[in-house]
Amino acid sequence: MVTRRRVLRTGLTAAAAVSGTAAALSPMLAASDRNPAAATPGAVEAALGPPGEPPQDDEGSSAPLFDEVYRNRRIQGFASDAEAGLDVFVDGRPLQLMRRVDGSWISVANHFQPFLTPLATARGAVDAIGRADLSLTNAGHHH
Amino acid sequence: MYTRKNQRNLTSDQRTRFVKAVLEVKRLGRYDKYVSLHSRYFAADGESGLRVAHMAPTFFPWHRHFLIVFERELQLIDPGVSIPYWDWTRDSSASSKLWADDFMGGNGRSSDGQVMTGPFAYRNGGWPIVFGVTEERYLTRNLGRPDRPLKLPSAAELTGALAIATYDTAPWNSSPHTQGFRNRIEGWTVSDKAGGYLHNRVHQWVGGHMIGASSPNDPVFWLHHAFIDLIWVRWQRQHRTSRYLPDRPLGAKDPQHGRVISSNEPMPPFGVKPSAVFDHRHYYQYEEN
Ligand SMILES: [Cu+2]
Repeated sequence: MVTRRRVLRTGLTAAAAVSGTAAALSPMLAASDRNPAAATPGAVEAALGPPGEPPQDDEGSSAPLFDEVYRNRRIQGFASDAEAGLDVFVDGRPLQLMRRVDGSWISVANHFQPFLTPLATARGAVDAIGRADLSLTNAGHHH
Repeated sequence: MYTRKNQRNLTSDQRTRFVKAVLEVKRLGRYDKYVSLHSRYFAADGESGLRVAHMAPTFFPWHRHFLIVFERELQLIDPGVSIPYWDWTRDSSASSKLWADDFMGGNGRSSDGQVMTGPFAYRNGGWPIVFGVTEERYLTRNLGRPDRPLKLPSAAELTGALAIATYDTAPWNSSPHTQGFRNRIEGWTVSDKAGGYLHNRVHQWVGGHMIGASSPNDPVFWLHHAFIDLIWVRWQRQHRTSRYLPDRPLGAKDPQHGRVISSNEPMPPFGVKPSAVFDHRHYYQYEEN
């Protein structure tokens, strides 16, 4: 069985590849390509297996899970001991993520739409908030 | 006892009075607690802890009570006001009178999603956003999500969900294994592409604030959830022998023990049991047409 760690690794490689490409694209092109991986339950389960413990970064806690510029916003994810298992930032401001039982994710910016990966969730948040800054104090989750 | 009406049947006077009461609750500083409360009680099922508002059987009773509390607040301002409902299977277009300037106001502009018309437009002074996902102070919408167009759920989709006789099933969450009426209506069970998402898709169709943690910032939230509430009423009528589940507290060995509320356990933050709101007729009735 594929472990979550492996999947995150794979996701990370893919993310690096995508971010390299995305950096070369104009924001308009990125905007036209905004079809965030909407989660289908079966696909999530196939990809991730049953939900387990949150992802660990076994190469030290400071290495980002992802770090890219998407539509002119810097999005970063780090493993953490937060309940969701990671901390995600948009231009340095925290984006609160929540994990669904099938392994998919939602964020405060997209409360009713699951995404397959934290990276897709962060991109989906940028799609939703446009150029606005995330609030530092408001609309937080109950943790 | 008062009556909740289909928003399409409100008189011009009724539309104006509803809007005025909502604006007055806001002006008095009593609106924004509903926004933050709805956000705080949104817990997800892949994490630990109790879920009441979403991804849980209490989705219907929790929101019913939430609406009743807000409606009482409106009625302190104007006793003749109640929350109208938006039947999105019928009024499914961005040109519906729902979005007229004397009621919910219009769509957001394309540059930043800002709603520019109607009583809830920031520039009209009465509707600053206090608890938002972002720092923006103005209400936003993106009706129909034009870049990846969405359609509101059809009457047939709703009928299909209403035909499910079982209220909810273990594991009482949002997973596809949770069969039953509640999870189908809430809308986590089928993918975007496959055309699921009843309640959830309506949030997404409106866009802007309605898709985020602070969705009650858009007053159409109440009209959407009043229809969700009416859907529960219709389901009860259609399945007289069905009842809310789980009807007993889950045992200590149940993986969902402590995470899900049964009929007679209190729902935070209200302390009201689901069973107290099973029959809406203790509070209001619906005018259905
Ligand atoms: Cu809702």
